[in-house]
Amino acid sequence: MSDALLQVLISGLTLGAMYAVGAIGLSITWGSLNVLNMAHGAMLSVGAYLAFSLATTLGVSTWVALLGAITLGGCIGALIYVLIVRALLNQPAFEVNVVIATIGVAFILENTVLQIYGGYPLKQPVDIDGGFKIGSIFIPLRSVLLMAVGIFIMLAVAAFLERTRTGRAVRAISQNKDAALLMGVRVGRVFALVLGISGALSAASGIMLSMITTLSPGMGYDPMLKALIICVLSGLGNLRGALIVAIAIGILEAFVQFTLGVRFALPVLLLVVIVGLIWKPTGIFGRRDAVRL
Amino acid sequence: MTSNAGLLVRDLEAGYDGSIVLKGLTFSVAVGSVLAFVGPNGHGKTTILRSISGLVGVASGSIRLAGEDLSVLRPDQVVERGVVHIPQGDMIFPSMTVSDNLLVGAHPKRAYRSRAESLGEVFDLLPRLQERRGQIASTLSGGERRMLAIGRGLMARGTFLLIDEPSLGLAPIVIEQIYSILRRLKADGRTIILVEETPSRVVDLADQVHLIDDGRIVWTGNGLDVATSSDFLASYLGG
Repeated sequence: MSDALLQVLISGLTLGAMYAVGAIGLSITWGSLNVLNMAHGAMLSVGAYLAFSLATTLGVSTWVALLGAITLGGCIGALIYVLIVRALLNQPAFEVNVVIATIGVAFILENTVLQIYGGYPLKQPVDIDGGFKIGSIFIPLRSVLLMAVGIFIMLAVAAFLERTRTGRAVRAISQNKDAALLMGVRVGRVFALVLGISGALSAASGIMLSMITTLSPGMGYDPMLKALIICVLSGLGNLRGALIVAIAIGILEAFVQFTLGVRFALPVLLLVVIVGLIWKPTGIFGRRDAVRL
Repeated sequence: MTSNAGLLVRDLEAGYDGSIVLKGLTFSVAVGSVLAFVGPNGHGKTTILRSISGLVGVASGSIRLAGEDLSVLRPDQVVERGVVHIPQGDMIFPSMTVSDNLLVGAHPKRAYRSRAESLGEVFDLLPRLQERRGQIASTLSGGERRMLAIGRGLMARGTFLLIDEPSLGLAPIVIEQIYSILRRLKADGRTIILVEETPSRVVDLADQVHLIDDGRIVWTGNGLDVATSSDFLASYLGG
């Protein structure tokens, strides 16, 4: 394989891992609980800035900053449930109301970040240096970490949803909330837990993304857009499918950038999404449930 | 009112969005017996079960089980007290497998610890579910889905079962299968509150039958009375 192709492949894998990591929080809330959290992008950004503040202002070590920011991200997720989602839970048109309400949350979080840190890009001090070479291509360790952590979290969350008592309750709520209540599931508690986990994972994703790019208040926009594309194209609720689609999109984007130019990457990607959804409206790995009457 | 009553409901008023559907119901069900509510659609039979299980808020009155008022509890707390509501129609989890549906039924912590034993008991009672355990629930037939709903309710290891319209929309031969399962549950000592639109189906199952009309009990008798009493027929037909 030529160096150029190898470079494209490695760039694509890194991009794909970034997208997968960025999509995790959204996959859980939207794919599993039908809560389309439009503040997901802002939560990525807040998580990254929290790690920045912990490392620079408090001067704590990399791992403490990471853990602290992830914990605070989880608290923000749980707080979104307590302050907003809980009030909407038993109202009509819950799914639509959550979308509108979380757009508001996104504005609040982004403008808070802008007010505190300003609009200039900053370098994330929480970082992992070093790397290794394959042929003449240098591979940064943080890219490998991104991919490994992305794959691990996706598979761990999929196992949680499929094999645990709480994971089954999450799936049950998304399919029939009243029936889940009658089975003794505490719906509110499950929503709070899932939004908390989503917040924590979003913070972890934001930190990893900011290691590769930079810190800026709008750093969550692109991962949020890609996360929406990944969730829809893979089929809602299919985390393993989302991982495969994220990697495929990353490689496609890198390949288009290399062959046609950077400006063609997004149009080609959206074209693929359109064709993909015409081909399989439920998503590539989605399943249309047959219902016997 | 029965003296050895397990569940005592007194002056129950409940409804939806400010409109009262149940207008002062008082009844009881003795431990180990079957109480059936019959009557036409839209007169509050399902609301009785939804009030007991906590899905519908109680406006006034009380629902007492072993001295405790269930009307102030959340649905999950009602399930923990052993009162399990098996809802009308196909309120199963359609994209989950039969096994996963059953395991959600064992969600309360106490029930979850005994889930393997409960699965065995459910598969003994409903062997068709064992054959279909890996199948996605939405692909089951109507009768199998109803069996799944009953099996899922049994997984909570409840002693009081609230069963809503178990025969709704099923073929006569399947209805007979479902009712033979209910007779087995009664023989096992479970207490059942049954809602049924067609009175003849509860004749040989119910110890006591209440006819509901416009949110009130308008006739009370036993299963046999339903088949023989001209009084029942007159009340049922609005005479």
